[in-house]
Amino acid sequence: MSTDDNIGGMDEGSALVAEFALGVLPAAEHAAAAQRIAADPRLQRELLIWQSRLASLDEQFVEQAPPATVWSRVEARLFPAAPGAGRAGLWDSLAFWRTLAVGGLAVAVAAVGFNLMQPRQLSPQEFGQQLVAAIQSNEGSGVEFVALYDTATGRVRLTSLSGEVAADRDLELWYIRGEEPAVSMGVIPVNQRTEIDLNADAKSKFAEGTVLAITLEQKGGSPTGKAQGPIVAVGKAIAI
Amino acid sequence: MAGTASEVTDLLSRVALRDRAAFRELYARTSAKLFGVCLRILNDRAEAEEALQEIFVKIWQRADRYVASTYSPISWLVAVARNHCLDLLRGRKPTTEDIDLAEGIADGAPDPEQAAMATGERARIDGCLDALEAGRADAVRGAYLEGLSYEQLAERHNVPLNTMRTWLRRSLLKLRNCLSA
Repeated sequence: MSTDDNIGGMDEGSALVAEFALGVLPAAEHAAAAQRIAADPRLQRELLIWQSRLASLDEQFVEQAPPATVWSRVEARLFPAAPGAGRAGLWDSLAFWRTLAVGGLAVAVAAVGFNLMQPRQLSPQEFGQQLVAAIQSNEGSGVEFVALYDTATGRVRLTSLSGEVAADRDLELWYIRGEEPAVSMGVIPVNQRTEIDLNADAKSKFAEGTVLAITLEQKGGSPTGKAQGPIVAVGKAIAI
Repeated sequence: MAGTASEVTDLLSRVALRDRAAFRELYARTSAKLFGVCLRILNDRAEAEEALQEIFVKIWQRADRYVASTYSPISWLVAVARNHCLDLLRGRKPTTEDIDLAEGIADGAPDPEQAAMATGERARIDGCLDALEAGRADAVRGAYLEGLSYEQLAERHNVPLNTMRTWLRRSLLKLRNCLSA
């Protein structure tokens, strides 16, 4: 520092700070230096300036591409809910579903993987058909869901991926079979997952190609049994 | 190369908000540089790979701390990598406070004038290193770029440990005076 013409104590401190920044000291002395610097604002400023000075040598570290395994290990360490995790963890992972919602095909492919990961062995009789639908934003609403239906249980599992609803409105889910009118599956919550048990009638109609649609309705859902609000998201069930 | 500093700063701030896509992008842009740091300092490929993994875990966990730093984003990342490698080599067990100091996020940030001065100094460091007596500049570079300790430097330059320490401290003060002249 240009104003720092004093010799002795000031220089001694500066040299210690530089040694700390370089990291040349043995562990115990390094730790002692850290304590001294942490207690002295002047030395802290000096440290920042030394770090900045030395950082100009950073250019001399030569770039070398690491092997791809490093990134996989970083991901496995930080995001254990990603590939390889248990069923519940995956289902609960919003981030997992968000990455899938890019397209129906991606969802279907990943859902197959998801099912393969289930630890339970199912006999062919038990193994009902699975349908998945990416219910994607319509007209820029931002509302997106993923639905997974298992014919063996008759239950639709629904996960909200994105979208917000005004406090005085609700989202309502419908299924549409061919040219038939939409049938309500009830009001669904945003920002959480839901399970809906289909009634016998719905079970018989729910199949590949069934369209799932979400409309924006008054609080509590459409009072008439027919959709009244705009369709905010729509998607088709695909067998997996 | 790693892209512009502002792009990397932007990625870091998104990583601080737990944006995984930004983290992946940050890794894509900066892992080669940081792997270069690990290889140079640890001088062992398997250890460098292991260290790089740990370093990116730290970056994910500590990205929010960068904001307060006066470092350039790349320098901050290099500092995280370099300090991690030195902790390994020296068997250091740093406290959070040590880490904050080492990564340039101490409380006493330089005022704008000091920061500008430090920036101006960067361009001259090589010139000032060259102005040092023969061998002394090598010791500074060896300490910074290879992570050599006083002991290793003394061995390399074939002088007693205390002599090495006196040399390096004098060299550092000369360097400081040259840079701020």
